[in-house]
Amino acid sequence: MGLLDKLSCLLGLKKKEVHVLCLGLDNSGKTTIINKLKPANAQSQDIVPTIGFNIEKFRSSSLSFTVFDMSGQGRYRNLWEHYYKEGQAIIFVIDSSDRLRMVVAKEELETLLNHPDIKHRRIPILFFANKMDLRDAVTSVKVSQLLCLENIKDKPWHICASDAIKGEGLQEGVDWLQDQIQAVKT
Amino acid sequence: MAAASPDSDCGPAESSEANSKWLDAHYDPMANIHTFSSCLALADLHGDGEYKLVVGDLGPREQQPRLKVLKGPMVLTESPLPALPAAAVTFLMGQHEPRTPALALASGPCVYVYKNLRPYFKFSLPPLPANPLEQDLWNQSKEDRIDPPTLKEMLEGIREKAEVPLSVQSLRFLQLEPSEMEAFVSQHKSKVIKRQTVITTMATLKKNLADEGAVSCLVLGTESKEILVLDPEAFTVLTKMNLPSIPAFLDITGQFDVEFLLAAACRDGNIYVLSKDSKRPKYCIELSAQPVGLVRVHKILVVGSTQDSLHGFTHKGKKLWTVPMPAAILTMNLLEQRSRGLQAVMVGLSNGEVRVYRDKALLNIIRAPDAVTSLCFGRYGREDNTLVMTTKGGGLLIKILKRTAVFVEAGGDAGPPPAQSLKLSVPRKTRLYVDQTLRERESATAMHRTFQTDLYLLRLRTARAYVQALESSLSPVSATAREPLKLHAVVQGLGPTFKLTLHLQNTSAARPIVGLLVCFVYSEALYALPRAFFKLPLLVPGLLYPVETLVEGLSDKGVSDIIKVLVLREGQGAPLLSAHINMPVSEGLAST
Repeated sequence: MGLLDKLSCLLGLKKKEVHVLCLGLDNSGKTTIINKLKPANAQSQDIVPTIGFNIEKFRSSSLSFTVFDMSGQGRYRNLWEHYYKEGQAIIFVIDSSDRLRMVVAKEELETLLNHPDIKHRRIPILFFANKMDLRDAVTSVKVSQLLCLENIKDKPWHICASDAIKGEGLQEGVDWLQDQIQAVKT
Repeated sequence: MAAASPDSDCGPAESSEANSKWLDAHYDPMANIHTFSSCLALADLHGDGEYKLVVGDLGPREQQPRLKVLKGPMVLTESPLPALPAAAVTFLMGQHEPRTPALALASGPCVYVYKNLRPYFKFSLPPLPANPLEQDLWNQSKEDRIDPPTLKEMLEGIREKAEVPLSVQSLRFLQLEPSEMEAFVSQHKSKVIKRQTVITTMATLKKNLADEGAVSCLVLGTESKEILVLDPEAFTVLTKMNLPSIPAFLDITGQFDVEFLLAAACRDGNIYVLSKDSKRPKYCIELSAQPVGLVRVHKILVVGSTQDSLHGFTHKGKKLWTVPMPAAILTMNLLEQRSRGLQAVMVGLSNGEVRVYRDKALLNIIRAPDAVTSLCFGRYGREDNTLVMTTKGGGLLIKILKRTAVFVEAGGDAGPPPAQSLKLSVPRKTRLYVDQTLRERESATAMHRTFQTDLYLLRLRTARAYVQALESSLSPVSATAREPLKLHAVVQGLGPTFKLTLHLQNTSAARPIVGLLVCFVYSEALYALPRAFFKLPLLVPGLLYPVETLVEGLSDKGVSDIIKVLVLREGQGAPLLSAHINMPVSEGLAST
């Protein structure tokens, strides 16, 4: 960062940029969540399954987020690991209504946490227990139990119940993430 | 999430919980689903990308058979069926949108077709011609010309003799108690006799395109040894084929309008292979036992038999391999992992194992808590590569193949031994070798003759030498009839003094020998013996007489010679027998 950049940061004119990875199984609502976090005029109306990945940007009160919205389809999941190095935070989205694939989400999370690029970094992870509006959705506590989140000891994590279509619970999660990133930086 | 299954790490094909290829997505031992692989189907019935599981549930003993549709681990809808289901398949009926597959369920003589989980069409098998005699009897009873007991008697006569079997109505009548007959006759006498067969198996066959989402025809196998192909939209019989036996399992590839190959495993223990335009089977594969499952893996027909083994055949009936199973086969199905282009066969065994084979190589063993009676692999919910299993006790297991899982062959014992692939350093063919080989090829007869001549000459010389030895008594065994003797000499010691022991034996049955002499013939420059000539005592038959004498070596030059031992008879010049003793070189030279 140059002197001018630092100065502008201090003055709050230019926000600090952070790279965030958005991961999770297909049809869990990653793109919908990111879309909802964008300013209202930039939101797209219909969400289609992501191919490969998308790069999206949005701002919170003090940070500027660059999100790598990865595709969750099985054949694209091996792309995730190529972006682990650049990520400063991870958003992991879970479809709370898909009981059957909870094991798959757990498996992918374990693979993620055991990856050499992630394993020894104190990188904040935000979980969204999404699709809370659906009738057969389980609670966020149950989701954290099913994914054995209590076993994550060396990284700050937080789970939020969310409904990405209405936008409920998203801001709470982003605020937590912002606090964590700033705590790491300072 | 399911509890840890009691896996044990015993081999490369087996895997423990930690490094298993499968994720346990769901296990419900009380799901109350009793079915076979033929009555399981996975399809996107609503067109929402969420694949459902269709189960034709046979039900436990008392309950009614049911059609169940499951979404994830939950039962979505359930409806009763009029008869036991024989098979459930999903297929595309037409090209128009939305392209949601229809569900066909074969049960009794009918196929029930559902669209969007609503009843859409009921196809009944065409009635078979009834026995005219039977019809005549019922007509007579209609006009009250015969009473029920007579009718029963006559029908029983037909049942025993006639080639055309009785109708269901007559069979039911024959089962009745005499008191119920009257009512039954009055209720049914006006009906026309119908004879209907039942469906034993059902499969699908693409109509004219080989794509994934192409329109498919239903193919039915019936109890009357027929195969019917139905039109996908009108449900009319497009073609009819006859088999020598009742089909139990069907496997079809190809397209109906182009060319297809149909394999039917029948109850007579044979597999018949038919093609388009052949009304009769083209090939017949004879199994030595009843088939329990038929799966096509690429171009190989894999058949499980009641002899607890899996056989691989080409469609022309050539047997490729046989793999023995540790327990009886209960069910079989195809495992197709599209992302890796893998096709394998899954076999459910009575000991609770599910084995995965690619050709004859064992890829994986899954241990289920109970014997697995039905297997189905495919896309379920939103996950490709899901394995659905139901157990004998009515349990439902759902496993998901890990994204990173790769099936590798167990290796080792299956393949050829490693020594077989080692390259031997065979020397180059030299000019000489080539010339010799050519010569051998050209003049083989001459060479053989020369060899034979030499062999005979050798034999002749040996015989001559033997005769000479006998004549001059050079052998250590006396051949004369009066003095049968055996001599055997041993030299002991390192030298220069040796001990020479002669063992003499009278080999005659009863007669002792007297008056024998022993004489040593040797070079006096080399050896010194205390007595070179002495008399032997009386030799009793059978006993071994050791005669010892010391031999002193005189030479210090390390030379050795032969000492001849002659056994003589008093008053005779020619020896009875003789022995040549090769004396060893004296090793005690240095000390002297």
